[in-house]
Amino acid sequence: MWEAIGFYALAIFLIYFAFQTITVPNPIHSALYLVLTMVGLSAAFFNLGAQFIAGVQMIVYAGAVMVLFVMVLMLFDLKAEIRAFSQGLFSGGLKVMSAALLAGLAIGAANSSVAILDKPVEAARAPADVTRQLGLLLYTKYLFAFEALGLLLLVVAVGVVAVSRIRGGTHAQR
Amino acid sequence: MLSADNFLHIGLAHYIFLSGILFSFGMIAVLMRKNVIVMLMGIELMLNAVNLSFIAFSKESGNLNGHIMVFFVMTIAAAEAGVGLALAVAIYKKFHEVNIRFFEHLRG
Repeated sequence: MWEAIGFYALAIFLIYFAFQTITVPNPIHSALYLVLTMVGLSAAFFNLGAQFIAGVQMIVYAGAVMVLFVMVLMLFDLKAEIRAFSQGLFSGGLKVMSAALLAGLAIGAANSSVAILDKPVEAARAPADVTRQLGLLLYTKYLFAFEALGLLLLVVAVGVVAVSRIRGGTHAQR
Repeated sequence: MLSADNFLHIGLAHYIFLSGILFSFGMIAVLMRKNVIVMLMGIELMLNAVNLSFIAFSKESGNLNGHIMVFFVMTIAAAEAGVGLALAVAIYKKFHEVNIRFFEHLRG
């Protein structure tokens, strides 16, 4: 009963914040609403028994990534946009409908696959145990993926420096 | 089908539904907004929606592989945000505006 009330309250908040994120004309407000969405998602992860992921979500997304977004926005000194959305009522409706169609397809497919999933093994693990098992899995079975990810981050760091040094890019004046 | 039990017993389907709604919001932001940075935020929203469904499925099946995948997705998303913002800075340096309509014709 209380679980249901908590879930619906969280879902309403999440949907409201996400809707505000994509509709407010001022990009800074949009970023701040996205921070609230991230915090709500972190609460949802906590509900689902993923305490470590919830903490990482708070630190990495709400902490680091969104602060980066807000800093870049402040660098640009943007005002609220007069035309925040792309023009064209017909194409806009088409875009919304295609997004809704994709979401409906995904939800339908997932719902029909819920029935054929194996029943949960009912592992009421302690939070510390989840984190410990996560670490064990990450450094044994997924060690290669972990190292590849580190290499990817190095390449991205070099690439970002290279991209931010270009002058004009494809629109360079000649 | 729509009984009180379906509303009161929160299961996998509810979280999948929430995840689908959030994903479609992110997709609408990418398709319809004109500001490059808000489009990047839409991408972040989509990645987070997928993370939610990963965690929900992971809880349902009782193993931790979904958690590992979420970990990787978060790392990739942070890298993607860095590259995207660097591109936005490059666009701003040229046009003094981050509207996508200035950047739709790529010239070589």
